Amino acid sequence: MFVRFLIARILAAFAVVLGVVCLVFFLLHLVPGDPVEVMLGESARPADKLALERALGLDQPLHVQLGRYLTSLSRFDLGTSLYSKRPIRDLLLERLPATVELGVTALVAALLLAVPLGILAAVKKGTAWDAGAMGIALFGVSIPNFWMGPMLILVGALWLGWFPVSGREGVTSLVLPALTLGTALAAILSRMIRSAMLEVMNEDFMRTARGKGLAERTVILRHGLRNVLLPVITLVGLQLGALLSGAVITETVFSWPGIGSLVVEAIHRRDYPVVQATVLCISASYVMLNVLTDLAYAWIDPRVRTGAQP
Amino acid sequence: MVKPMIDLKLLGVLALMVVGSACADLVSDAFRFGLAGAPANLDPRFATDATSDRINRLLYDRLVDFNDAFEPVPSLADWEQLSPTHYRFHLKTKKHPFHDGTVLTASDVKATYDFVLNPANASPHRAALAVIDRIVARNKTSLDFVLHRPEPLFPGYLVIGIVPARLIAARHPFHEHPVGSGPFAFLARPDETRLHLIRIRDQRRFEFIAVPDPTVRALKLMAGEIDMLQNDLPPELTGYLENDPRLKVQRTSGTNFSYLGFSFEDAVTGQALVRRAIAHAIDRQEIILYVLGSAARPAQSLLPPEHWAGARDLKPIPYDPEEARALLRRAGYSPDHPARIVYKTSSDPFRIRLATILQRQLQQIGIAVNLRSYDWGTFYGDIKAGRFQMYSLAWVGIQTPDIFDYVFHSESVPPRGANRGRFHSTRADAFIDRARTAPNLAAKRRWYVQLQHHLADALPYVPLWYEDHIFIARREIEGFTVARDGNYDGLAQVRRSSPDAP
Repeated sequence: MFVRFLIARILAAFAVVLGVVCLVFFLLHLVPGDPVEVMLGESARPADKLALERALGLDQPLHVQLGRYLTSLSRFDLGTSLYSKRPIRDLLLERLPATVELGVTALVAALLLAVPLGILAAVKKGTAWDAGAMGIALFGVSIPNFWMGPMLILVGALWLGWFPVSGREGVTSLVLPALTLGTALAAILSRMIRSAMLEVMNEDFMRTARGKGLAERTVILRHGLRNVLLPVITLVGLQLGALLSGAVITETVFSWPGIGSLVVEAIHRRDYPVVQATVLCISASYVMLNVLTDLAYAWIDPRVRTGAQP
Repeated sequence: MVKPMIDLKLLGVLALMVVGSACADLVSDAFRFGLAGAPANLDPRFATDATSDRINRLLYDRLVDFNDAFEPVPSLADWEQLSPTHYRFHLKTKKHPFHDGTVLTASDVKATYDFVLNPANASPHRAALAVIDRIVARNKTSLDFVLHRPEPLFPGYLVIGIVPARLIAARHPFHEHPVGSGPFAFLARPDETRLHLIRIRDQRRFEFIAVPDPTVRALKLMAGEIDMLQNDLPPELTGYLENDPRLKVQRTSGTNFSYLGFSFEDAVTGQALVRRAIAHAIDRQEIILYVLGSAARPAQSLLPPEHWAGARDLKPIPYDPEEARALLRRAGYSPDHPARIVYKTSSDPFRIRLATILQRQLQQIGIAVNLRSYDWGTFYGDIKAGRFQMYSLAWVGIQTPDIFDYVFHSESVPPRGANRGRFHSTRADAFIDRARTAPNLAAKRRWYVQLQHHLADALPYVPLWYEDHIFIARREIEGFTVARDGNYDGLAQVRRSSPDAP
């Protein structure tokens, strides 16, 4: 049963990625701008432009070009950057670790912020602690990254001098971009943990734990938090995809050499093969994380894979 | 009860692992130069963007360079003109070999240019060099360029960095591992945003760091994470940095030409009276002073006056709103019947800000301007296709006057050239044709100056200003000379003033 579920999810994921590839391919051909002109410059002779168009296969009908592109993809050949002339696979392999590093650190930062805030708000429900914790959460979710980033730089790098302003230069350079990227997620998570914890607090097993004479701290952390973490894991799985794909602004502000900044540069330069490959990479990682979350959920809760009502 | 999949302790360990894996690749003693964008291509045969060109000048030598008057001057080689279509170049005694230790010879020059001219290689520089018929290496230090037709400007076209013939044959990836003979050698490129070079004469390291956000770039300079930067900052940031006692600012007049372009096929902007009214309505001095932070000078032509083919006697069009209103009245417009113009610009925030100021100034003389900003690709596509009434743009890095042929000749309507406004003038064509066939630079200059006077009357462009080049550095950085074309050649002389620095 689990194998059938697994195959179904993988096939669905493949269909989604294929759809994204086709959509991006057609959208990029609708966007104004000519790759041949990018390569040869505006002043190139028409004969040279025509020759290069032929060489790149851009003179072929769109469906033929798509077919060729998909064939190349099936061989894991993402093409070559029009601008830097480097293989796109190399560019992605160079940039992806930085994005993963930032995304995972941001996730860890979000969890480290959200878990205590959410628990505190739930345990101290209706008090100033609750209002304060949820106020911080509201603040975090409301502030856009393009403002949060420079503000953190101003305080953390310029006034305090604790962290570098930008770039990927050592351990400390991760802190400010990870905080910028992780704050919004921390806000969402802390609100979710608070509401889930409030539900759990009055469950029978919590009363039993208290009845056994366990300390309140142990009851909350060992029994309450463990049950709250299940929906949190689902959300984290989905949000990690968003962190990897949504780091465009943060990477630009902090000059972080990840795929977010790569796609921005490629769009500015009209380097269509790079844009195409980067979007494909982002969507594939997003879909993959979703599939993994589904599988994890199905593994934990058999009712998911049998289709039974939970 | 379902067991959770992760443990908080595990999270902590994971965090440490991630943090520990962060790249630590500081080059602490290096000079650090902040760039707005990374150089796209370190292969001079393909590079087209300004940053790549400026970095490649450090890595590669070229046959010819330009002086302050934009006259071609010998760099790697002297030349003699044997006939109108035959140039002989003699390589100077080289101070430096290629960075791989081999000697630069005429064969390397020939191989570099042959590569560019081969259509199969799709070099963007091929069109500019199409005048070359063949190249003959006579011996190790001299070679001949034979042209299809006479072209006195030809030496000025030979500005591509020379790469070793042996490596061309081996299909060496110069874009990843540049090998030139310039004053700087390639060290490493840890990622796309960072480039490490070494200055050959004293083995000092230089790191070029791309920081796209101008505010963050300025903050890095203030924090001492970069030592210097040049251009690409909004004027208000430049003004802010100027007040920082740890920093110093150097300026030099630039040649990047900002202008307003018009459609000659449009009923409103096709009228000379309307274009002249617009030219008189713009208060350039005010914009330069208050918006550009005095970092520009009014322009009177596409070529600056110091250019060898520039029109030195041509004066910028004066701000005269009364004259502008009178011209509009003569064109048949009045407050009840205002001229209406759609003005297109890019979505760059600073360009939009400038455009709104121009919109306001034109409104004051009675022109109703509908401002529309577009993503760069859409905007540029519209301009090339002639879908505009009025637009603003800039010409960057103009060095040879044959730009006039490309921009104003009636046969240069896109896709054959950049006559985007569909300007048709038999006088302009005649001046351009005569300049094109003139036998020497002096004769060319005469025709180009006359052409510029004619363009100042016909106004296919309303010249706005030439933006300055601004170099900002930590106070201890010395020896940098800001170049008129914004190149980074000054880095060859940069030093630190602190006593412990060499």
